[in-house]
Amino acid sequence: MTELVLQALWSGVLTGSSYALIALGLALIFGTMNVINLAHGELVLLAAYIAYTCESAFGASPLLAIPAAIVIVCAATAITYLLVSRIRTNRELNSLLLTYGIGVMLTNGMLLLWKADIRSTKSTWLQDAVVLGPFYSMRSEVLFFVISLALIAGLWWWLTRTWAGRAVRAVASNRDAAKVMGIDPHRVELVSFLIAGLLAAFAGAAIYSVGVIQPALGISLTIKAFIITVLAGMGSVPGVLVGALLLGLTESLTTTFFSSALQELAGMLLFLLVLFVLPNGLFGTRWRRAH
Amino acid sequence: MEIRRIAIWVALAISSYVLVPLAFAGNLYLMSMIVASLTIGGIALAWALLGNLGGLVSFGHAAFFGVGSYASALLVMKAGWPIGLSLLAGGVCAALAAVLMLPALRLRGPYFALAVLAYAHIFRIVATEWKGLTNGAGGIGNIPRFPVVFGYDFASKTGAYWIVLSLVLVFAVIYWRIRASHAGLALRAMHDSEDATRAVGVNSVLLKALMLFLSAFMTGVMGAFNAHYINFLEPDYAFSGLWTMLPIVAAIFGGYRSVLGPPIGAVVVYLADQLVFKGFMPIGHQIVLGALLGAMILFAPEGLLSVFAKRAHWPGRRRVAVASRDA
Repeated sequence: MTELVLQALWSGVLTGSSYALIALGLALIFGTMNVINLAHGELVLLAAYIAYTCESAFGASPLLAIPAAIVIVCAATAITYLLVSRIRTNRELNSLLLTYGIGVMLTNGMLLLWKADIRSTKSTWLQDAVVLGPFYSMRSEVLFFVISLALIAGLWWWLTRTWAGRAVRAVASNRDAAKVMGIDPHRVELVSFLIAGLLAAFAGAAIYSVGVIQPALGISLTIKAFIITVLAGMGSVPGVLVGALLLGLTESLTTTFFSSALQELAGMLLFLLVLFVLPNGLFGTRWRRAH
Repeated sequence: MEIRRIAIWVALAISSYVLVPLAFAGNLYLMSMIVASLTIGGIALAWALLGNLGGLVSFGHAAFFGVGSYASALLVMKAGWPIGLSLLAGGVCAALAAVLMLPALRLRGPYFALAVLAYAHIFRIVATEWKGLTNGAGGIGNIPRFPVVFGYDFASKTGAYWIVLSLVLVFAVIYWRIRASHAGLALRAMHDSEDATRAVGVNSVLLKALMLFLSAFMTGVMGAFNAHYINFLEPDYAFSGLWTMLPIVAAIFGGYRSVLGPPIGAVVVYLADQLVFKGFMPIGHQIVLGALLGAMILFAPEGLLSVFAKRAHWPGRRRVAVASRDA
């Protein structure tokens, strides 16, 4: 029993690390631009399909697809940024509709290119079991866990120690004051979209290496990222990490003790609970309620 | 002026009852496309009502549609309700589902939109897992058809067309009357400043909640209609994201500030999608709808009908709301 729980916790932590990459991208864009990118999950999925193509067409490891995925996904996020920045009226709601439209285009584009079939990696090297003490996992899970941690640490360093990263935080905390300090908010917005694209590219490769993908997965990735940012409270990086961990743990514990069909439901219930009990999230300071 | 406008609308309504079946009744495929487009038109109208009067953008109307369709089908099949009554009951059940979303009303615009998207997923999962009630992913077949009334078979394509057209028109009249009422005035005032409207004694949360219920009710009725028209339900169909996506594209295309823009948009968008784009691309054809939605938001967020209306400068049109909406 204890072993079962420990194993579930371990899997939850591993899953949570990829979720954190996805949610950080969403949170960054929301922080700087006050835009929720509803196409974010589809962009992650696009990276996953690039990894699939790399493997199925060229016989290369999905890991080698990451550079190509970064280029393509960052180009896609840059285009998304250019379009969103053209919205003049009621940007908060119109950007939702616009990015929803982009998400629909991406989903259908992926259907066109890769069909509706479920895909997963054929690489035995990635799927080999890795035993760490009492914990079992696939090599791909451990690998991407380490990569995620490195990326998160890098992002944290960038946000707190570099000028560009501080500019991102400055725009997120007070746009007008940042402008007075000589920061170009448009540039910062573009940078946050590109960073989100970078994280999405890694997350996509992780999702393909670890599990199965299909075109309909995009929207549920977006929902998961949104749930995590709600758990976190918008604009808090440590909050996103805790939120991602919490969602990963909830899902893996549900799978272990109930059924995998209910794992999404459990995540949703966690989300509703936090929404109603702690409307500003676990770490949020920003006022989210209408009144 | 007002009377002439009403006369024009009545004439248009009557001709759509008579002329469309006369012209297309022989082409069953086209007729079924028209019925489906009006079904989406009804949801689009309900979605736009919530967006225009309630100021709320929803990405979860599929939940109301699914709840309405399952409720009506199950009430008829398991409890023996008559079909007309079950349509209303489907709407009521969808409105009850909306009660569960009430806490989300406390959230600001984008959070509400996404919370409802998450809700829609919950309903779909519940419908799949609650096998005792819904038969899960296996679905429900042989849902009773519309009955024969006064010797006319309403289960036929033309009969279904008349039913769905009537539903959409009744919804449009309800929407129109609410917009013209005191509540409609208060709701429009809330666009400009919700705080100021509350300060003069309007219960804005109550009004928004009522619009949410009404929108859910209308969507549920469309779902119930569709269940008896298609005669088959499964969770992935009844709660499909398409029941959210198509109405949004239709409403934005037709202009979600107007009453008839969304249904007209639905007919145009759905028929173009099914008859033209699907011909080029059997799968993935909705990429065009995604592009259309994006283009509308960027270039004509008020919808195509309003673009034409501005060009034509229709006499007698009240432009008060148009001038103040982006304040």
